Amino acid sequence: MTVTLKALSALLTYPGPDLQTAVSEIRGVLASEGLIPDEALAALEPLLKDIEMADIYDLQERFVTLFDRSRSLSLNLFEHVHGESRDRGGAMLDLLETYRAGGFEPVTEELPDHLPVLLEFLSQRPLGEAREILSDAAHILEVLRRRLERRESPYAPVFAALVQLSGATADGDSVAEMLAQPDDDPNDLEQLDAVWEEAEVTFGPDPNAGCPQVRDMLARMDTPLTPAPARPAAAE
Amino acid sequence: MSHLLDRLNFLKPKELEQYSDGWGQVTKEDRGWEDTYRNRWRHDKVVRSTHGVNCTGSCSWKIYVKSGIVTWETQQTDYPRTRPGLPNHEPRGCARGASYSWYLYSANRVKHPLVRGRLLKMWREMRKAKSPIEAWTAIQSDPILRAEYTKIRGKGGFVRASWDEATEITAAANAYTARRYGPDRVFGFSPIPAMSMVSYAAGARYLSLLGGTVMSFYDWYCDLPPASPQTWGEQTDVPESADWYNAGFLLIWGSNVPQTRTPDAHFYTEARYRGTKSAVICPDYSEASKFGDIWLNPKQGTDSALAMAMGHVILREFHLDRQAEYFEDYARKYSDMPMLVRLDEKGGRLVPGRMLRADDFSDKLGESNNPEWKTVAYDETTGKPVVPNGSIGFRWGEEGKWNLEERAGKTEVKLRLSQIMEEHHDEVVGVDFPYFGGAATANFVKCEHPEVLTRNIPARKLTLADGEEVYVATVFDLFCANYGLDRGVGGDWVTRSYDDDMPYTPKWAEKITGVSADKIITVAREFALNAEKTHGKSMVILGAGLNHWYHMDMNYRGIINMLVMCGCVGQSGGGWSHYVGQEKLRPQTGWTPLAFALDWGRPPRHMNSTSAWYAHTDQWRYETLSAQEILSPTAPEGDWDVSLIDYNIRAERMGWLPSAPQLKTNPLEVAKAAKAEGKDIPVYVAEKLKSGELQMSCEDPDAPENWPRNLFVWRSNLLGSSGKGHEYFLKHLLGTDHGILGKDLGEEGRAKPKEAVWHDQAPQGKLDLLVCIDFRMSTTAVYADVVLPTASWYEKNDLNTSDMHPFIHPLQAAVDPAYESKSDWEIFKAIAKKFQEVAPEILGKETDIVQAPILHDTAGELAQPEVKDWKKGECDLIPGKTAPNYIAVERDYPALYDRFVAVGPLMDKLGNGGKGIGWDTKHEIEELRQLNGTWADGPAKGCPKIVTDIDATEVIMMLAPETNGQVAVKAWHALEKPTGRQHAHLAEGQEHTKIRFHDIAAQPRKIISSPTWSGIESEEVCYNAGYTNVHELIPWRTVTGRQQLYQDHLWMRAFGEALCQYRPPVDLKTVTAAVNTDADSKHVVLNFITPHQKWGIHSTYSDNLHMLTLNRGGPVVWLSEADARKAGIEDNDWVEAYNVNGALTARAVVSQRMKEGTIFMYHAQEKIVNTPGSEKTGLRGGIHNSVTRATLKPTHMIGGYAQLAYGFNYYGTVGSNRDEFVIVRRMQKIDWLDQPATQEAAE
Repeated sequence: MTVTLKALSALLTYPGPDLQTAVSEIRGVLASEGLIPDEALAALEPLLKDIEMADIYDLQERFVTLFDRSRSLSLNLFEHVHGESRDRGGAMLDLLETYRAGGFEPVTEELPDHLPVLLEFLSQRPLGEAREILSDAAHILEVLRRRLERRESPYAPVFAALVQLSGATADGDSVAEMLAQPDDDPNDLEQLDAVWEEAEVTFGPDPNAGCPQVRDMLARMDTPLTPAPARPAAAE
Repeated sequence: MSHLLDRLNFLKPKELEQYSDGWGQVTKEDRGWEDTYRNRWRHDKVVRSTHGVNCTGSCSWKIYVKSGIVTWETQQTDYPRTRPGLPNHEPRGCARGASYSWYLYSANRVKHPLVRGRLLKMWREMRKAKSPIEAWTAIQSDPILRAEYTKIRGKGGFVRASWDEATEITAAANAYTARRYGPDRVFGFSPIPAMSMVSYAAGARYLSLLGGTVMSFYDWYCDLPPASPQTWGEQTDVPESADWYNAGFLLIWGSNVPQTRTPDAHFYTEARYRGTKSAVICPDYSEASKFGDIWLNPKQGTDSALAMAMGHVILREFHLDRQAEYFEDYARKYSDMPMLVRLDEKGGRLVPGRMLRADDFSDKLGESNNPEWKTVAYDETTGKPVVPNGSIGFRWGEEGKWNLEERAGKTEVKLRLSQIMEEHHDEVVGVDFPYFGGAATANFVKCEHPEVLTRNIPARKLTLADGEEVYVATVFDLFCANYGLDRGVGGDWVTRSYDDDMPYTPKWAEKITGVSADKIITVAREFALNAEKTHGKSMVILGAGLNHWYHMDMNYRGIINMLVMCGCVGQSGGGWSHYVGQEKLRPQTGWTPLAFALDWGRPPRHMNSTSAWYAHTDQWRYETLSAQEILSPTAPEGDWDVSLIDYNIRAERMGWLPSAPQLKTNPLEVAKAAKAEGKDIPVYVAEKLKSGELQMSCEDPDAPENWPRNLFVWRSNLLGSSGKGHEYFLKHLLGTDHGILGKDLGEEGRAKPKEAVWHDQAPQGKLDLLVCIDFRMSTTAVYADVVLPTASWYEKNDLNTSDMHPFIHPLQAAVDPAYESKSDWEIFKAIAKKFQEVAPEILGKETDIVQAPILHDTAGELAQPEVKDWKKGECDLIPGKTAPNYIAVERDYPALYDRFVAVGPLMDKLGNGGKGIGWDTKHEIEELRQLNGTWADGPAKGCPKIVTDIDATEVIMMLAPETNGQVAVKAWHALEKPTGRQHAHLAEGQEHTKIRFHDIAAQPRKIISSPTWSGIESEEVCYNAGYTNVHELIPWRTVTGRQQLYQDHLWMRAFGEALCQYRPPVDLKTVTAAVNTDADSKHVVLNFITPHQKWGIHSTYSDNLHMLTLNRGGPVVWLSEADARKAGIEDNDWVEAYNVNGALTARAVVSQRMKEGTIFMYHAQEKIVNTPGSEKTGLRGGIHNSVTRATLKPTHMIGGYAQLAYGFNYYGTVGSNRDEFVIVRRMQKIDWLDQPATQEAAE
């Protein structure tokens, strides 16, 4: 069992008195298991202290604001991959099957793609497998890290630790792509406009020229990717 | 890559079989890849459900579930098929419904019970040493503690709470409020029960057992067309959409069918294949406009001018110059046109007065029962005045004559429509009619015609019982004169020419509406000609575009007049199709006992929301519309110069409208005091009201005793969607930041109300607790103190019906509610259980006094033939007659939960019923005992159980005639008594049909014909409103029993609406010099219109990613190219729209679709998505309702008078909002009010 993962899972759950009293234990486990390098451990310290010392209501309000109420910081991983698309149901199913194949049945009200659920599961699996699965999600974790960092949230180091643990370097392209999504600087109007911009539609002078998007699309379709297979000879 | 080497060019393998002439063949390669597709669509189960979004769609969907997760959904295609010759109902559904399902797992979902952190912290602190009641009392008694959480509403700071804690806070607050102020200070708002009846019933049942106030929605949404109760005594009843197909002429008027009735629009398309002609009337080039053979685009808000001009043409060509036989016959039998009206003298001139009654004659024309409620007409055969059957006096106190047979008693009669023939009148007299065209503001065409038009009327002179000599005229003659039609009796203001500029000619209408006279004439003529040929198959589909104006009644009555002139109402393929809001809860009489706990105590506390919010959000303190501005120049003498809230107070005092709260003193205490004095409750309350020791709350809405203290909002987004005067809600009800830019009457130094008590300091933050129950973080949830996560539509069992089709179908729990959410039924059960635990500390068995207004469809509706105010000493205070009823209701607070989950004994004892008829229901209750099980002991011993939501659905369907054939037959038999006719044949064929929850889970089921509704379910005709009135001769529930085109109530006459008139939009004075800081720069002032949108799930959800992506990803307003040019606005610019009510920010859509002078903002685009700060208020831009404010209309307050008597969601003030104007300009600086992330952390 990888206790570090279990501990990080705990840090990402809704803070309660239990968590507050468990902080010193978490601190100890993270240090003793040695999976997280020292500087990353040091980075986690503000969060640990916070949870240990701060008023529980402030902690909870902060947690709700960050993770329950901000779509861009959702702890449901597939929110960042599938959003409200249909594929999300299927993806959650696959994850559910993974848990079952690993010998566990989720007994939580949280959805299967909830990060603390996943981390708890991974904590029960061989470290290699855990790293592999984590590395699949590394780009999401990286994005969340950066978004939290922008807010100077003490939660950011948790994600930094997870990215490090995964051993993967998040795919720069997909991170950049995700970071470009609506959460970014709302004062940057040009960027905001670009999100909603569509190709310009021009009319005439040739009335048959039609809509440029359709024209482009048709042009693309005109170029065959592979030659059409020959028809079977019709019975004559 | 080429497949050249894989392919056999010369050989054909022998063993491979070919088929389809060689186009297909069996191959031997690996087909494993196909499993990808098989698995993609593999599922464990399919569950039938639907989307309970306020819309009328009610479409059946298949929900696919795999391993307990909803994976996708598709439309159901198994509606029972229609009869031959009629298209089927499918496909039903729309893109908006299909995109709903992902709310299920959306990040926007409310996952846990949430409580404002500061509140929870103080609560837990208090709870260490105190009981729940003591804890809440302590918080409320300390103004600083209370302000700590009320002032930050809408500013985040939620923490999770357990269900136990959240329900405990709620229950303690409710119990404290009931004890301290009275149970009626606990309000609950939830709209549109038809979309999920059990979920609505859950909250309403809890509130009703508590004695809380259940608030109306249909009138508040301004979806209620008051013209319907005025004309028909019917809330709203309309044809199903399939009946559009039967129409010969479809007039689409201010309704955007393809956009807002998407699942039904196919019938419109199919009707056109059948050859139906269609005209579309709509100021903008809407999606519906392209369906029209002709498109008329009147100036917004002038529809009644158009309707009056069309009526002018129809009357001229089909009733006067030529009498279309079908029309004349219909008018005689089914309208009030033959009835006689007294012409009253006022200052030496004559004005139309009350309808003549049997009571006015010395011999009362032989009528001893209710003669003052029986109208009179002349019989063509005998030439004598007669009392035709069917008027409302026949409905109560006698049997067998409340019908539309052409009889007076048993004698056959033929009523005289007109006294135009020489021998039928004694004299031609000049009668004054009001004309309001001159009242138009600068934004509309102002007419030069005088405000009183005197026209000649053929009249008869009669000597009445008191010896008074009066002139009487028929409604028909007054009606024709009102339309300005010359009938050869001379005089002014009537014409034979369509080209005269005189009210209500087509030429006159052209000037006002901008629609050319020839188009008006063409449409009117074709509409009527089709109706004549088809006997009434001309239909008008009309909607919010007409109904949301202050003078909506005129728009509607103008159209209803056309339909009645042409005999269209009650005929399949014809009639009035008002589709706004979702009013049709088909199994209504089965549902009301469950929802309002009529099984345990009657009556419930119902409140009309418009008046309530007007008072409690202090919108009345800013009222600039005076009664004088809308009063008729022909008004009878009276004390009319008071403000609108004063009219409402009078209406409450006289028992016309309900009140909430009701009495300034806690009703539980009043009951105790009455008992102590040994007096009957009504007697005691009447005495104390007269002496002034008791006061009605309505007289002083700002006194702390009269504030609403707790508010539940469930199934609704009150603050983000329907809250007209949004900023006033924020300021006065919630007490948080707001964007009001104007000042109240006190600050402005304007005239203050005469009856409502004025406090110089307006209260802010009246509510102690706002509880929002929702599955997503809506605008309302954001402002709430407690947010409870509810099940979505694929996570609960419920019932759903619509006015658009006759089927009932279920919502079903495909999966368990996600996260910690629970169904509304379970949530209110949990609150009830908690209440039962905590309340006994301060509440036991108590007597409550419920103040109930005089209700329509009860014998009480005959209460007030004259208007008399007891407070002015015009009459004595008699509860239920000249004042509200005061009724003792026994509450058992320590058994509230036990009562919640059991069908109480009153169903056995008092029976069930609705709309004026009642029936015994012991048999059904016994069946429920066997079906749901019976409580073995406890306070509900022997009562049937209602534990689960499915139990609740069974209660509804067992008790309702629409879903239980035996009850339907009973109900029809009950109606046979007053009418003296046979009706049970309409249901006898289905006596043994009983629809249960599992039946509708299998397939949507068509309901059974019931007297609750005016149409029938049959294999011969589609459902159409008024069908049983015309074909079964059941009277309309109006004074005359006929379609009432003449409104003779004193207040109707005072406000000039006895007959339909053109009334221009009113001046709300919200664009003032003081507020307009852009006077010197580029801006434009536009009429603010809020239609339903294409990119929001009906009126509710627009924060769904699919919808946001299809539109522009945030709030937008639409304006015309011309207006955009004037204000220097380009497409997609950020603009700000504001007036004294507040400000909103949105992107501009500049479109040729728009009519100059108007701005559209689609309904309910929430400010939680992509809304920058307002430059005017410095706060985040508002919602569409930030620039509106509700304004009441006195004629909607009338009560105690037949069809104008009150009914919940039936009659009352409505929240109109289209007369509003805003200043629109381009924004200079887009400020998102987002602090840079670094600052937030630094703080």
